[in-house]
Amino acid sequence: MGFNFRGLAFKQSMMILAAITVVFGLIFGIMSYKTQDMLDRMTLENGEETSRANVNYIDKLFNAGKLVGDDVASTLGKRKMTKAELDTFLLQSLTNARNLIPQIVAVVLAYEPGMGPETPTDGEFMRLARFSENEIKLITGANYQDKEWYYSTRDGRTSRWQEPFIGEFVPEPIAVYTVPIFQKNKEDENILAGVLAIDMSIDFLKETISEIPVSNSGYAIITSAKNEVVAYPKNIAQGKRNRDVVVKEKRGNSQIDFDRRTRDSSGLFLGTVAGGEESAIYYTTIKSNNWTFMVVWPIEKYLKDQSAMRKLFFALAIGGYGIILVIILLISFRVAKPLKELAVAARKLGRGNFNVTIPQITGRDEISEFAGAFSNMLTELKDHIEKQKDMKRIERELDLARNIQLSMLPGSEHDENSDDDRHELAPFLLPAKEVGGDFYDFFKIDNDHLCVVIGDVSGKGVAAALFMMVARIILRTTTKNLKSIVDAFNRTNFALAKRNKLNMFVTVWAGIIDLRSGHIDFASAGHNPPAVRHKDGTVEFIKSKPGLVMAAMEETVYKPQTCSLLPGDTLFLYTDGVTEATSCQDQLFGDNRLINTLINGGALSPAETCSLVKKEIDNFVQEAPQFDDITMLAVKYSGSDEPVWERYEKTINVNNNDKSGELKSFVEDILTPMDGAKKVQMQDAWDRYEKIVDVIPENQDILTAFVEGILAPMEGSMKSQMQINIAIDEIYSNIVKFSGATQVTLIVEIRKATLTARLTFIDNGKPYDPIKQADPDITLPAEEREVGGLGIFIVKKTMDSVSYRRNGDNNELAITKTL
Amino acid sequence: MLINKTSENDKLTIALEGRLDTLTAPQLDAEIQGKLDGVKSLVFDFKKLDYISSAGLRILLMAQKIMNKQGSMVVKNASAEIKEIFEVTGFCDILTIE
Repeated sequence: MGFNFRGLAFKQSMMILAAITVVFGLIFGIMSYKTQDMLDRMTLENGEETSRANVNYIDKLFNAGKLVGDDVASTLGKRKMTKAELDTFLLQSLTNARNLIPQIVAVVLAYEPGMGPETPTDGEFMRLARFSENEIKLITGANYQDKEWYYSTRDGRTSRWQEPFIGEFVPEPIAVYTVPIFQKNKEDENILAGVLAIDMSIDFLKETISEIPVSNSGYAIITSAKNEVVAYPKNIAQGKRNRDVVVKEKRGNSQIDFDRRTRDSSGLFLGTVAGGEESAIYYTTIKSNNWTFMVVWPIEKYLKDQSAMRKLFFALAIGGYGIILVIILLISFRVAKPLKELAVAARKLGRGNFNVTIPQITGRDEISEFAGAFSNMLTELKDHIEKQKDMKRIERELDLARNIQLSMLPGSEHDENSDDDRHELAPFLLPAKEVGGDFYDFFKIDNDHLCVVIGDVSGKGVAAALFMMVARIILRTTTKNLKSIVDAFNRTNFALAKRNKLNMFVTVWAGIIDLRSGHIDFASAGHNPPAVRHKDGTVEFIKSKPGLVMAAMEETVYKPQTCSLLPGDTLFLYTDGVTEATSCQDQLFGDNRLINTLINGGALSPAETCSLVKKEIDNFVQEAPQFDDITMLAVKYSGSDEPVWERYEKTINVNNNDKSGELKSFVEDILTPMDGAKKVQMQDAWDRYEKIVDVIPENQDILTAFVEGILAPMEGSMKSQMQINIAIDEIYSNIVKFSGATQVTLIVEIRKATLTARLTFIDNGKPYDPIKQADPDITLPAEEREVGGLGIFIVKKTMDSVSYRRNGDNNELAITKTL
Repeated sequence: MLINKTSENDKLTIALEGRLDTLTAPQLDAEIQGKLDGVKSLVFDFKKLDYISSAGLRILLMAQKIMNKQGSMVVKNASAEIKEIFEVTGFCDILTIE
């Protein structure tokens, strides 16, 4: 199983990693900022801490120096002293000051011109006491008025610390505190008398500075109010002079001289000292003399701290990142692996392998839940397919049932032996998907009576189908036996209603058509009235009163109803599957559409009429599914152009020897009323005689005698008579030998006007059309001759016409002969 | 149907009277079947025969087949109607009709 870069695991891991990267980045940024800030603050605190004691010490020192200066100046302002007094005072003051502050090395007094003791009006006076080499000396100075320390104090008229310098008399760096001396004149006004200066050695500061311990290779420096370096560790200058030791501040890429006067009293900045390496510099103001105390850390070290901090954090981040990555990958694989296995299983399943093993996944997470569901699905799918198989089997059996049911309906008139010249009939049944309950039926009750039936059992399914078959068979049997449609309806209804626990019912319309006259006796059990298309093209529904549906109530009595067909009329039976065929728009096909379709059909044959109606229904419903069986039955009544024969029947006992007399009187009885005028009238008509005999060889004589008896009065030729006798012999002997019939009816019809006789043999044997038999070869020598088929051949040769038809259960063979 | 058989040496004359049809043909069949041994000349006299059906033709055919092997067979005095039957069935070609 290779790593899938488009897989869920990878995608998920990448997304989580991306999110974590963002979070880490943010944390890193904030942390660096915070670290910087913290380091700055630490540096600041460190600087403050380092400088505090020193600054205090320096402050204390300078404040003391200031106090000394102020005190001495005040004393000088109050009392006018002589030179001697002054020397003593100076000596005393320096001694006192040095007791207090050993760094004070000199007390200097300079008067305004003319203001000094014992001084000419424009004369200078400058006297100083100086400590040098463990003794104090008094020195007289001059030319001080253009010295900065003097004129700045004189002009400013306030005390101040001067910028440190190496003094004229004190050859070492000194800090000088200068104080103006005011004396009262005669007008009691304060006037400036001179300037007192206290010189403090600041060499000690260099010692002090060097000794201040500063962490991280740092050091301290002190600058004056004018940013001149006052004190610094010796190793910094490296031979440079004081004025070269300049503190510069970094502003962007350039460096400018640091000027504390433009800044807060303390703070931190980046810069260099004496052109050295870049450093972080803390500064604070020494308040007493307005100097600046600075703590300097070389930046390299400072940055090292920061980058160490960053490195640590980065390492932590990378480590965490790695761990998270590993965990994510583990989880992803944990998720992806079973999913992949499930996918493989699903693929196999898709190919129809239902025995595929579902990977067992333990645990209670979503994956195992899914695997469980998948496993369930497989089981249920199996069950479902088994059920489907069962369903299929049931469906097949239902189909079978349907087929049996449909195959029991007569398919064509030929099957039912009900076809004849006087009508044409076509059934149509298109079953809906389920086994339905529609049915039709047609059969002949006798030669001249055709029964047509259409029905619809309530409901669908096997029950409806069984019910339909039972109803159809009972109705058929009772109609054939009772020869009355109403009686058959009553009987059938009773039979069905009696054991009808399921409360099913069936609507039926059935009619018996007299094929000779077109008269119909019919009954309706709640069925739609059939339509009739007349020969003139008009169409109407038969006035049919629907009785109660069959099988509803045992005692239902159906009313006999009648109607008539004229030759050329077509009777159209149908079920509600036709009129209630539903379109996609939920519209019904309806009576009017049916009527219009039948009108449009014109003089179509019954089969074509059914097809047309079906086509119209299809056009109407379009894609809508067929819910109900569509059943139709159309009968076209052609009628008979022959006059109705009067029919006489006589059955004689062939065992009775007196048979010829009986026959003779039978025929005479029939013919006697035809005497006279009536007889003449009848000459144009066919006379008809009928003889029914059992099929035994001996009855041939009876038939021959019957025919001879009828034909004799015609006075035809002997030859014709003889040929007719031979024909009777051949036909009857064929029936006896081959048909398996039990009864033969011979109908003899004669037409006196044309001296024509027609003999029709009707037997109930198996279907046999002798005309279709091949003629025997009559040219062969005697040895190769067969006698089979010769008889019919003779008949064909000697008679004027021979015709055959199968009528119902009977063979009808008719021959005609001119006598 | 009446059957008159007249035998003279190896010549047999059978005169038929009435109808030779399905019903009567078996009688004639019985008179001929196995009774033509030694007969060299067989004569059917149809002078008084009314008509003949295919059943009768079958007997004649059978007799003709036998006589073809052992002698000759002649049909005499057949009426026009019977001759017509022989005509239409082609029997005139296999029978000797005088």
